[in-house]
Amino acid sequence: MPPDLANRLRRRPWGFALLVAIALFAANVIARSSFAAWGSWPATLADFAPFALAAMATTPAVLSGAGGIDISISPLLNLVSIVLIGVLLPHGLGGFWIAVPISLALGACVGAISGVLVGVFRYQAVLATLCGLFVLTGIGLAILATPASGTTGWLAHLGGKVGPIPGALVLIAIPVLVWIALGRTAFLRALYSVGGDDVAAYAAGVDVTAVRIIAYTLGGLFAGLAGIALAAATQSADPGQATQYTLPAIAAVAIGGTSLLGGRGSLVGSIVGAAIMFLIQTLLDSLNVSSNWLQLVYGAILLVALVLSSQLNRPRKKPVEVQPA
Amino acid sequence: MSAIPEGAVARPADPAGEGRTSLGTRLATAQRRFGIFQILALVALFEWGTWTVTDFATKSSILSMLVAASFLGLAGAAQTIVVLVGGIDFSIPAFISGGAILVSQLTGSDGWGVVPAILLIVVFSLLLGATNGYISHRFAVQPLVVTLAMSSLITGALLVWTKGEATGSAPSFLSRVTAVDGTTFGLGIPPVVVIWAAVAVVIGIVLRRTVAGRRLYATGANPAAAELSLIRTRWVWVATFAASGLLSGLLGVLVGGYTGSGNVSLGDPYLFEGLAAVIVGGTAFGARGDYFKTVLGALVLTILSTVLVGKGYSTADQQIIFGLLILLVVAGYGRGPRLRDRV
Repeated sequence: MPPDLANRLRRRPWGFALLVAIALFAANVIARSSFAAWGSWPATLADFAPFALAAMATTPAVLSGAGGIDISISPLLNLVSIVLIGVLLPHGLGGFWIAVPISLALGACVGAISGVLVGVFRYQAVLATLCGLFVLTGIGLAILATPASGTTGWLAHLGGKVGPIPGALVLIAIPVLVWIALGRTAFLRALYSVGGDDVAAYAAGVDVTAVRIIAYTLGGLFAGLAGIALAAATQSADPGQATQYTLPAIAAVAIGGTSLLGGRGSLVGSIVGAAIMFLIQTLLDSLNVSSNWLQLVYGAILLVALVLSSQLNRPRKKPVEVQPA
Repeated sequence: MSAIPEGAVARPADPAGEGRTSLGTRLATAQRRFGIFQILALVALFEWGTWTVTDFATKSSILSMLVAASFLGLAGAAQTIVVLVGGIDFSIPAFISGGAILVSQLTGSDGWGVVPAILLIVVFSLLLGATNGYISHRFAVQPLVVTLAMSSLITGALLVWTKGEATGSAPSFLSRVTAVDGTTFGLGIPPVVVIWAAVAVVIGIVLRRTVAGRRLYATGANPAAAELSLIRTRWVWVATFAASGLLSGLLGVLVGGYTGSGNVSLGDPYLFEGLAAVIVGGTAFGARGDYFKTVLGALVLTILSTVLVGKGYSTADQQIIFGLLILLVVAGYGRGPRLRDRV
């Protein structure tokens, strides 16, 4: 690889992923020409939205460093869809101004709890969110023992079109806008500094605990959106599918060039990463490849992406210094 | 160090005075070494079950709990060594399903002998497990993600190979090995329990009494220091993950014998419950703990879930209780240092 290109990719790690995504999109169009047809976009994007939102929800926790990760995102977004379709709709609480705030608040609250466990009580992120995964899956099963289906006006719009725009695009745009808004505050810079080196950030006066809590809360909020997107796309809720997005979301984050060690990466990268995972799935579908291959391909791609991204994100080598005794 | 006379090293203030260690300190030491709290919890849970659940303390009920605990404990063994070295293995369920599917499909449908089938499982498990360790260490990627990817890869390969539907059935001697009413050399103990005990002894000896075990603990406690004392930490990681894969693959053979056949979700329950056994037992990331603790953890969790089932709690309730239980236990010992202490 010429050094110039390598440098550019290092600065914008998702650049490479974007090239792959574009190539995959082209492959999809070649395999099935109707893929690019304007009429099919709302449905395709609706299927894509939970992927993208789950990946974006996982990103802030990973960026916050110190082994930060949130493996409870997938059960959380599933729980939100269960509450939405299994509880709110049947009880006549399905109105937009009631259901959406409740869904988002549920996501944000659970995210905040994870954040407090990690930031204040100093749990390892894997363990804290693993417990979250247990508890949320259990609550989902307790609320809804079997899959349920249902939809309502605004949910159908989000799964289809809002005016001329595909509804899913609106959902995906919200975290991006939130992220851009946060970029105008000190929070994002604080988040990246905490993720890069929390001790140095602490010594420089950054409130590391608050930054971590906000990061996990944001993740929870985005998971709430993802839950709405899932309900809109599938018009159903399935308590047995609580962990279906765990692997794709983490894979998308890694493929999108976000360092799993924290401090490097971006939300946009995660969308690109999610697009790659999604486009592989649709491509296999179009080529009539048995769905049995999907997991194999996912695993292989994730392994390759991990190795590649670790090579691209490699910090400059520091010689090991041994202090004389 | 030997030049410094005993007692010349500054000691922290001793609140009890006169060189006596206080009761609290001694209890803390005992807890660290033997898991007093876990043993008490075990006894209390057993008594609770005996008094409130009918037919809880009968021979067959105890034996079936022991068989369940053996499976959980063996899955916990695979996780324990990886956690001790500072990693985590999320591909254990895939190895378990793989072992079960391979042994039933190869011997049941494809006419292989049992020995070649098991040898093939051993080779696959070692190679794929070693790959987990190598990629995690060589490329400094979180093992959580590497093993998740490996899990997907293995599950996918199994689905492709079996065309989505595993056929065949496990050899019948395997179901005798794992049957609750099985006997070992005429004794009324299921062979799988004896296997578990043997594995526990071997792992205990390897961890505490061999050079390999020392290296594993040194690597988990401080990789940089271990590297500087000429331990090749990469090979420690490779060997540990390979051992984890091997244990899980062979456990899969046993689980296949227990259920009679294999499918790709057969191993799923063992991921989180195995990890829960490790954590509830008291082993923490980075060389704190040992396998004896996980054995206790597996027994505690098995008895707890038997009591909960006996009292009519659903799977959902059990998951919630397990999750909260892990949080509670980890609160006691497994948390990181304060930031202000690290500056």
